[in-house]
Amino acid sequence: MPTIVACFKWVVDEVYIRRGAGGALDFSSVDYKIGEYDRNAIEEAVRQRDAGGGGSVIGVTVGTPESAKGVKDGLSRGMDQAFFVSDPSFKDLEPSQTAAILAEVIRSRIPQYDLIACGEGSSDLYAQQVGPRLAELLGIPCVCFVQKLSIEGGRLRAERRVEDGVEVVEAPLPALVTVLPDINTPRIPGVRDTLMAGKKPVITVKRDELTGTFEGALKTAAMTASSLERTGEKLAADSAGIARFVDSLRKSGVIK
Amino acid sequence: MAGIWIVAETREQAFELLGAGRLLAPEMETTVTAVVAKGSASPQECIARGADEVLLLAELAPGEPFGAQLPVIEQEARASSPHAILFSATARGKETAARLSARLAAGLCSACTALAFDKATGSIVMERLAYGGAAIQKLAASAAPVVITIPPRSFEPAEAMDGRQGKTRELPAPPPSAVKIVERKPKEKVSKDITEARVIVCAGRGFDKKEDIALARRLADALGGELGATRPLTEELHWLPEDLCIGLSGVQVKPELYVGLGVSGQVQHMTGVRGAKVVCSVNRDENAPIFALSDFGIVGDLYEVVPKILEKLET
Ligand SMILES: Cc1cc2nc3c(=O)[nH]c(=O)nc-3n(C[C@H](O)[C@H](O)[C@H](O)COP(=O)(O)OP(=O)(O)OC[C@H]3O[C@@H](n4cnc5c(N)ncnc54)[C@H](O)[C@@H]3O)c2cc1C
Repeated sequence: MPTIVACFKWVVDEVYIRRGAGGALDFSSVDYKIGEYDRNAIEEAVRQRDAGGGGSVIGVTVGTPESAKGVKDGLSRGMDQAFFVSDPSFKDLEPSQTAAILAEVIRSRIPQYDLIACGEGSSDLYAQQVGPRLAELLGIPCVCFVQKLSIEGGRLRAERRVEDGVEVVEAPLPALVTVLPDINTPRIPGVRDTLMAGKKPVITVKRDELTGTFEGALKTAAMTASSLERTGEKLAADSAGIARFVDSLRKSGVIK
Repeated sequence: MAGIWIVAETREQAFELLGAGRLLAPEMETTVTAVVAKGSASPQECIARGADEVLLLAELAPGEPFGAQLPVIEQEARASSPHAILFSATARGKETAARLSARLAAGLCSACTALAFDKATGSIVMERLAYGGAAIQKLAASAAPVVITIPPRSFEPAEAMDGRQGKTRELPAPPPSAVKIVERKPKEKVSKDITEARVIVCAGRGFDKKEDIALARRLADALGGELGATRPLTEELHWLPEDLCIGLSGVQVKPELYVGLGVSGQVQHMTGVRGAKVVCSVNRDENAPIFALSDFGIVGDLYEVVPKILEKLET
């Protein structure tokens, strides 16, 4: 029966980010979510557990204390327990720092596991680094961009999507995978799932319980809004609207 | 600190990365080293395009993935401490770059779209998209090495120059990797490269079924353009090939005209059409975000509107 670790990140929902004065990002009315592809990672961990006839899914997330909501959200998606590695300074971490923190927590607190599942990238930075970095820090095999996965006899078999097609690969466990969105359809937690989530164990790990220094390697010199807005003329679907649409196409000079 | 490195799996990657590397090397008064897979770009080609040194990766045994080269690349990088190491942001490139970064305790700028050396601070300054494309993140690296991945076709490939000279060295074969490829399923056919298309009609989730995409194709034909798609159509439903996915995880396009049909206009997609001259759309939801990101658009059902547009175009 497999023990599977699912890593996930509680992120700003980018839909609510506004362009503030002078091109600064305005986060004043944002909401948060578990990153899209991390939901696939959690779902895949749960499926592999169930396919393995039991076992457990341990969620791990690194974030500020406000990310507690994300822990509950994750638990409502079928995980059995969670490690919440939390500190006010764990804000805007670089992928290298997040990976180092995850590595220490997994190494020191999860003595035995078969598989680690991560999303192919977080919804906010989408740097696609944490999974492969974590695998290296733990010294385990890593298969990224997986669209199909099975576990059998201490090995995994995965379909990894690359530019020129698909590579079917095998690796010994424990191993780490990062998953693509089409690997599964993440469940939408119901009321019961949310209620149950409140009863599942959460182990909070504080900064001073960790030994690493977790220094960053790069400096974010600026983060500015990038506006995609255009004139936004809305036309009706009637004959006048169609005529104006086709006229505008012609005027654009692109077509005759 | 010695040099700018590029690591390439194909000829095309090598030329583009050499182009990017040459944005840094002269400013930093340093050399360029090309680490290339055998059978991709030849040493002569790399040297002509700016490499001072070529390190040839050994041919991999059957079943060994590209990532198997990691220990060899790591060892060479430790020995010569390059200032920067550039990879293509392809599936294999991204994975190898991130794993190498972890081994070297290096920073990594993923999907870098702009690159320069800032003499004043002595740091490499890089840009990338964040928050799905809603923001531009500027990163600075002062410690070496910094690893950088570059989305294919973001930089001008290096041109060949006359009279250049350089050294070539063959790298040892890597030890066997724990990950083995047991089967390869090549793509049936490589679809059109839409990055250079003048007109793109993009199909979104507003289409009910695969066959209906024919309607988008008809409009593309009528406008003399190519078909593009949003990620759900290529990666989740697999109605269209992945190369047609436009946006953050797909390609960046810069057509004269982009027409989005049944596309909601999420930032991860729209960031891919920021270079389009004219953006227009058809969506039945008048509150769809795409309208604010379009020059003009029709609020209506694409199944009714597109045939009417086709009809009007014929008159
Ligand atoms: C990290 C990350 C990276 C991503 N990268 C990409 C990327 O590179 N490219 C990309 O495209 N997406 C990407 N996405 C996904 C992106 O966020 C959106 O989910 C996606 O672009 C939505 O596709 P869509 O507009 O086709 O579908 P939907 O958002 O489902 O929109 C469908 C639209 O069709 C309209 N519609 C429905 N029926 C009709 C009809 N009959 N007539 C007219 N209109 C109709 C609806 O009103 C709706 O607005 C990424 C997401 C993440 C988290």
